[in-house]
Amino acid sequence: MTTPSHPGGHYRESDPSDGRPGTAGNGPTPSGAGEKNTTPGSAPLVVFRAPRAHPAHASPNGRSYTPAHAAPPGGPSGTPPAPHSPSTGEFPLVDPPTGGFPRVESPSGGFPFIDPPVRRTPSGVNHPPQNALTSSGNGAASPPAAPQSDSSPQYRGPKWNPTPSEWNTPSAPAPASEPATTPTQPAVPPPIPQEQSRLGQVLTGTPAPAPAAPAPTPTPPQRGELKPYVSHPPATPQRPRTVEPTNFVHPPAQTTRSRPALPQQSSTPAKAVPAPEATQATPHKPPGNQKKPVKPRPPRFKDRAPRQELAITEIAGHLTFTANTVTAWYWLPEVRWAFRPDSERENLIIAIAEQYAGLAGFRLHLRRTTRPFPIDEWARTIAANTPNPLPPAPGAPTWADHLISAQRHLLAANASEGQTYLGITFARRTFRDVLAERFNHLRGKGTSEKERARNARLVEQFDEILGSFGVRARRATPHELEWLIYRSVALGMSPPTHLSPVSDGHWESGDLLALTEHIERYRTPYGSTVKLVNRLTGEERHVCVLTVGRMEPLEIPEVHEPWLHFHERLPWPMELSSRVDVLGPGDAFRNLEHRLRMIRSQQRDYQEHGIDAPPELERLAQRALRVGDEMTTGLPLDASRIHGWHRLAVSGRTREECLERARRVIKMYSRDMRISLQHPKNQDLLVREFIPGEPVANTGYLRRMPVRLFAAALPQAASIVGDRRGDLIGRTAGTSRRPVFLDLHFPTEVRERSGLAVFVAEPGGGKSTLIGALGYLAARRGVQVTLLDPSGPLARLCQMPELRPYSRVLNLTGSEHGTLAPYALIPTPQRSHFPEGRTGDREYEIALSNARAERRMLVQDICSMLVPPQVAREARTATLLRHAVRQVPAEETSTLDDLIQTLSSIDDDGRELANLLLDTAEMPLALLFFGQPPEGALGDDAALTVITMAGLRLPDLRIEREYWSAEEQLALPMLHTAHRLAVRRCYGGDMRRRKLVGLDEAHFMEGWRSGRSFLVRLARDSRKWNLAALVASQNPRDILGLDVQNLVSTVFVGRIAEDHEIAADALRMLRVPRGVGYEQTLATLSAVDPSSQNRLPYREFVMRDVDGRVQRIRVDISYVPGLLEHLDTTPTPQPRNDSNAIAPIATPSPSAPAEV
Amino acid sequence: MRLRTDDDIYRARLLYLGPPGYTLPVHLPYAQYGLFAVLVPFFMFIHYLFTMEIEIFPAWEIALAMVTTSFIFRHVDPDRPARIVIRTALTDWRRRQESSEERRDPSLVATKVRIRQELL
Repeated sequence: MTTPSHPGGHYRESDPSDGRPGTAGNGPTPSGAGEKNTTPGSAPLVVFRAPRAHPAHASPNGRSYTPAHAAPPGGPSGTPPAPHSPSTGEFPLVDPPTGGFPRVESPSGGFPFIDPPVRRTPSGVNHPPQNALTSSGNGAASPPAAPQSDSSPQYRGPKWNPTPSEWNTPSAPAPASEPATTPTQPAVPPPIPQEQSRLGQVLTGTPAPAPAAPAPTPTPPQRGELKPYVSHPPATPQRPRTVEPTNFVHPPAQTTRSRPALPQQSSTPAKAVPAPEATQATPHKPPGNQKKPVKPRPPRFKDRAPRQELAITEIAGHLTFTANTVTAWYWLPEVRWAFRPDSERENLIIAIAEQYAGLAGFRLHLRRTTRPFPIDEWARTIAANTPNPLPPAPGAPTWADHLISAQRHLLAANASEGQTYLGITFARRTFRDVLAERFNHLRGKGTSEKERARNARLVEQFDEILGSFGVRARRATPHELEWLIYRSVALGMSPPTHLSPVSDGHWESGDLLALTEHIERYRTPYGSTVKLVNRLTGEERHVCVLTVGRMEPLEIPEVHEPWLHFHERLPWPMELSSRVDVLGPGDAFRNLEHRLRMIRSQQRDYQEHGIDAPPELERLAQRALRVGDEMTTGLPLDASRIHGWHRLAVSGRTREECLERARRVIKMYSRDMRISLQHPKNQDLLVREFIPGEPVANTGYLRRMPVRLFAAALPQAASIVGDRRGDLIGRTAGTSRRPVFLDLHFPTEVRERSGLAVFVAEPGGGKSTLIGALGYLAARRGVQVTLLDPSGPLARLCQMPELRPYSRVLNLTGSEHGTLAPYALIPTPQRSHFPEGRTGDREYEIALSNARAERRMLVQDICSMLVPPQVAREARTATLLRHAVRQVPAEETSTLDDLIQTLSSIDDDGRELANLLLDTAEMPLALLFFGQPPEGALGDDAALTVITMAGLRLPDLRIEREYWSAEEQLALPMLHTAHRLAVRRCYGGDMRRRKLVGLDEAHFMEGWRSGRSFLVRLARDSRKWNLAALVASQNPRDILGLDVQNLVSTVFVGRIAEDHEIAADALRMLRVPRGVGYEQTLATLSAVDPSSQNRLPYREFVMRDVDGRVQRIRVDISYVPGLLEHLDTTPTPQPRNDSNAIAPIATPSPSAPAEV
Repeated sequence: MRLRTDDDIYRARLLYLGPPGYTLPVHLPYAQYGLFAVLVPFFMFIHYLFTMEIEIFPAWEIALAMVTTSFIFRHVDPDRPARIVIRTALTDWRRRQESSEERRDPSLVATKVRIRQELL
């Protein structure tokens, strides 16, 4: 049985309209508002995994329920029926299972069960189904209705089998409003309630607190059931029994769930017990089977499953205590590895090696686990940062839908982040310590204060050693340790997403560890994997542990990747555990010397017997000599050795999948790193070794290596790029796969840098598509977007249904006269834009004169472009122009006509020049430059404006200007002015409002003075005006000058395979060393599989974000429906007859997640 | 940096060539002789358990011990020392009976772990 990991399963949104249960997921949020709130609400939903449906929902009394129960595969009836503690918590009728669960400090004493029903009553009142219920008129439909309803399910029938199903149905969404139709519900709801009940306290909150939605939904079906129930005489007495087997499963979950949610459950156990009794009593009466309230009996059968306590007895701060040892745990932050110069990498490795060498004499446990990317947290952040998303357009997906599809995309991609922990076992516990602890247990306390104080002193040295450059570790928090222990016990299973240690502050201490109870372990046939089953969610996972065997020499960082980071190339998360001893120089030398002596004596032996010794012996002897020499004469860094075992855990849903993945890992390592991974026996012991504190599984494969090699393992190498608060644009494509988020206003708002983002690639590299996609995403979020796209494909963005009412296409080739009047293109600074006071005055004046100077420069350049090139090259022309320009006032209101008049008045040459300009004005396109700009050309409030020059043929910059056609000659000034027009639009209005401008084909500005000054002004103003400027160019030379001045915050470099100079410039912009092979990386971006006939559905870029992190990313915006079709810029073949009328670009939507 | 493990030093095969002056025709690792020396009395003891007598020249025991030693050492390599091989063989023998179906192991639970937020 495999977990139905159907993404569709979790998405309650598929349920009609009533996303309530989804919002329920968000607990207390509901009130309010439309789309935005549903988004966060739905987020947790989306994040959930659909647990395997449980068969144990048998409702024997032949109610319509039964079919529903039959629906779930008749799987493990043996498995504790449904761990799904009813989201309602009624469950506890079963009452406080004795024993077991205590230490989960349940604030309420663990009996919250009773209350929920009661609370639900009032809330349920508003719900129509409830009305239906009350109208059903059964005796139970009275104030006790709620409690009864809760209890009612229990009376389902003779063998009423727990909660799960019953409770589940209640949580069914609105459709459940028909009580009679409840049967069908369980099929769908079970996943949800189970999920809800799983662990998310936020969720748990929902059933009860959420006023409207969840409450009513749970109740009505119950009530509905109540009705039919009443007609069937129940055979109640057995109820308590049947519930038994499951009881102990629930309480811990119960407590966890309900604790945060239901504060009022402070009912004492004693009270709790009778209460359900009371409630039970009433419904019982009508059937008349029961004489008097029955006390729930203590469970007859305890869970006989064998359990074994972990070796860890206490977690105190960052120390863990086992019976014999004390271990200090540290959390290691991730370090950048990709695209760094080799010298930096070496320095990093050496620094880490020194730190490890400083830990000589201790035993280390290096542990790498994964944490799911907190998708809902991201969704909440982005929703919080988007105060005014684009209003919904009829018939188009709304902002909430957009976020939901992004989250689904993230879910499907299994985004996870790695966490690295280092445990140092530094002390043995003395007999007195252990005795003191035992004694304290009797008193209810833990380890003694003295012991902890002593250890605290010892442990301070580690803080120093590990806190400096290199590892930069910090102490682990108890919560993180709990997380680590849980993840080690449930090795490879999907982590309880709501429990990710980052987002949720609601976790009580001990909750995570309580969950370890539900993990069952099985040994599979032939012992090649270990099967772990989570009783709560029904998830099953096969884990196999590989151990590092023979290692050939490695060249890190020149050739090879860090050898414990290399596995992250594969798309599924794996866990690492290294148990090593650090031997200081003395110990290591002794060890080695012993070995050397043995080798020498063997050699002597051969000599005495007169046989040729194998050359290997001599080689080894030499090597031992050299190593010994290093050890005795070198620094501890060279001398220290690390002896230990290194394990890698691979998991899969089925045994075959797990073994297949293990095979792939083994092959990858042996091929690329020449490390052989072994798959030894005793998998159960190996899996146990991952848990902190457990003994080492001695299965051989002890590796002895110098500290440097162990430092070069670097499991904490990372590849994050981008901020975490922006739109999802893709994932990293280097060694690991992390989602990449980009908020183009993050540099301006948070980092206070310029908002200029530069895109460099060859034609076909995907720049336009990326700009279009970013423009779309920004427009969605309510940013004022202006895109300039000379070639025209981006205009189709305006046809997207969600953008159509809010967008406008400005086609320059069809515009009125004066749209591109040069003087008006440079905005005049306002006094209000500058701060008060004298400095503000000064700045204002400087800005004014800068603006005037820029206008003059622009007009000069435009005129040079308008006249024939031969004339433009003459010195006299330049002088005349300068003269004329000086005389025309450089204000916005001037026009080219003024200039021409002035020119005519200078002298004959001037008149000639003026006539030439007027000649140019004969072409209709050139009229755009003359005259005053029409009113209202710029001031609209469209969210998205696309400026195109449809039909305009762009000149080839490599050809001399003389050979250009008239139209091409005109295209150049048009481009220049169009760029300015696009930016001009952003200079009106609120300075702090978010704006985005996308400029394509910016390489045409190269070589013109005004062009360069335009870019500088753009970069400088972008911060002040909160303007994100996307500038795409095929040749970054001019922009490179900007970058040197730190005016560029984000850089995207696409495929550059042809021109080496451009590649070198691009690398310089990325601040990546040249000449070491990264040019090859640039050339192989977006590499096409030659055997494939389809078009590449994605594009790869090397991205440098505002914080300087560089990484190769794969841009994938397929989660926006229809976006790729609209942005399709390549000519497509004739539509085929099959369903894919659009070119393969359309298919990425389904397949893109698959490729992940 | 060129980084390599020290393992090859520890992988050197140390063979017993023979007493000084005489080279044995077959060169076996020292460990095999040791194991042989342990196995012969062991098999003699088993023989004694069954027959209550000890032979002067235990031919069968020696033969058995030789076979067992070579069998064990067929699977031994520097990464899997002899004791591991022996242990694996023993556990395999015990568990082969159940190898065709799943067996439940005790779940590892952390329910009795105390947690303190601060160290002191």
